[in-house]
Amino acid sequence: MAGAGDAIAVASLFLRGLRGGLDAGLELPEAVARSAAELPRGARERVRAALRRLDGDYQEDEWGFDTEFVEAVEPFFGFLYDRWWRVKAIGVENVPAHGRALLAANHAGIMPWDATMMSIGLMREHPLPRQPRFLVLNWAFDLPYVSVAIRRMGGVVASPHNAVRLLEQGQLVAVFPEGVKGTGKPYAERYRLQRFGRGGFVEIALRTGAPIVPVAVVGSEEIYPKLGEAPLLARAMGAPFFPLTPTFPWLGPLGAVPLPSKWRIEFCDPIETASFGAAAAEDRTLVLELSERVRETIQRKVLENVVKRGSAFL
Amino acid sequence: MPGRRVLITGVGSLLGSALARRLEADRSFEYVAGLDTRRPSRPMDGVDFIEADIRDPVVATLLPQAQVDTVVHNQIVRRPGPGMSSRSMHDINVIGSLQLLTACERSPSIDSIVIRGSAGIYGSEPHAPQFFGEEMTRLYPLRSRFQRDVGEIENYFETYARRHPDTVCTMLRYQPAIGPALDTQVTRYLSAPLVPTYLGFDPRVQLVHEDDALDALVATVRRPVRGAVNVAGPGTIGLTRMIRIAGRPSVPVAGPLFASVAGAMRRVGLPELSEDFRRLLRYGRAVDTTRLIEEVGFTPRYETPAAVQDYVARRPGGRVLPSLSRAGI
Repeated sequence: MAGAGDAIAVASLFLRGLRGGLDAGLELPEAVARSAAELPRGARERVRAALRRLDGDYQEDEWGFDTEFVEAVEPFFGFLYDRWWRVKAIGVENVPAHGRALLAANHAGIMPWDATMMSIGLMREHPLPRQPRFLVLNWAFDLPYVSVAIRRMGGVVASPHNAVRLLEQGQLVAVFPEGVKGTGKPYAERYRLQRFGRGGFVEIALRTGAPIVPVAVVGSEEIYPKLGEAPLLARAMGAPFFPLTPTFPWLGPLGAVPLPSKWRIEFCDPIETASFGAAAAEDRTLVLELSERVRETIQRKVLENVVKRGSAFL
Repeated sequence: MPGRRVLITGVGSLLGSALARRLEADRSFEYVAGLDTRRPSRPMDGVDFIEADIRDPVVATLLPQAQVDTVVHNQIVRRPGPGMSSRSMHDINVIGSLQLLTACERSPSIDSIVIRGSAGIYGSEPHAPQFFGEEMTRLYPLRSRFQRDVGEIENYFETYARRHPDTVCTMLRYQPAIGPALDTQVTRYLSAPLVPTYLGFDPRVQLVHEDDALDALVATVRRPVRGAVNVAGPGTIGLTRMIRIAGRPSVPVAGPLFASVAGAMRRVGLPELSEDFRRLLRYGRAVDTTRLIEEVGFTPRYETPAAVQDYVARRPGGRVLPSLSRAGI
């Protein structure tokens, strides 16, 4: 984390220059320009980029996805990926390089850490990397700051309308079919996949003809070992549940720091759906059958990877 | 073939009078009438101005006399203007629309009705789909008075359309409009010296440019389709980005304090932020415009970010914050 020290040094240099300029009676834009001119080249680039952003000169797509923001936070998530969770991504080549595709993964915890790790894994390891968009538990969109960060990074409200529109635009979309049942699993039940609801994600895949790539994530289920719940607090906050872990809420915000478990993410063989046709989305038998097949695949691969990983934290 | 005959309500408004002029200049319309209590600011040659209050039952006798085949209802008030109580806003919106549709019932010559409604019917909801389709009106409770007004208008409209299958009834659901000539909640908000935002929220908002707002109305009158159609500039813009483009200083206010801060701002003469608009600032809203583009056949010229940029470039009054990225670093 040497970058942080550098950034502070550059910022103080810049502010000192700015102060000097203003004291000498310059107008603000001119003082900024003068002061920036004295910075080293790399830092000047960064100041220029920051000022451009302050003028609203940046791009967001219609979903609010913001490439510059993703690039800016990459070092943080990269650190989590490399050092904190030591993620190993397997089978990235199973994710189609272009066109619509649906990633279906097991899920734990309210915060979409697993989605961000999948996306870093794909961006780093895939020969033709692209950012997946992910469906996030609705509750997160009522939270200040969190909701903004999630949308800038490609998260959308978990609604089938959103998933279908994204897939029709040719995007890669990650879903967590366990839904809220997965996020609220107690520690003792980790890596036992919950029921996949009514198979809504399969309907979406069938309707859009998108292949389903089952994804097994190992490690995410140890980051917040849930020992109990406080239902009254959850109701007071409007949250789906209020977890009690060894650190949360006892250590305050520090308790929300995820534990450094060791992760493996395996992208499995894609399941093709286009040949069934869009009308098959209403075929309950087929939907449930495919949903069960995806669930079994993920469950099997999760257990395989738990064994391959060895110790959970070391 | 005789030309079409059209009556426009709310013709005293900017959009209403512009629409009347456009249709008057169009050869396929032989008669254009405008109904309002206030005269348009510029006189309109060739447009028959009917001075009447839409809430007045006399409309029910005036309308059949005009012998029109098309009615454009453009008198839905989106925000209480100066000296207008929310009570009279409700009266104009709900009672006015009801009177007008009753008058239409008595005019057998009518074969199409176009209403300029509001996308406010969808609300601004944190858990809503990121793009509302026309069928998604009943997903959430109607929370504000204006929303309930629009809900009632939509109900009257649906009943009318069901009872008169031969009449083509179009409900245009407009997103808030923006443009240098307009005075709307958005333009007032972006002209305030201090712009309040919700602390920790940066919603996606979607707007329609004033030129597109008019062109969409003209296109629909020319080629009406049945049912509801969303009207908006495609794409969205983050609220923060919009405020930064406008060069305004934003003041983040914590959610629970926002309503009282907004009230205090109104007392010192800053623009009023209605309940709907406050929810929009917190959660945003966007709609799907496929129907407008494919069925009405109208593609807006300005996507939402371009509409904001055009407004900022041509509006009266400039930035409050200096633009630092052009300082030449």
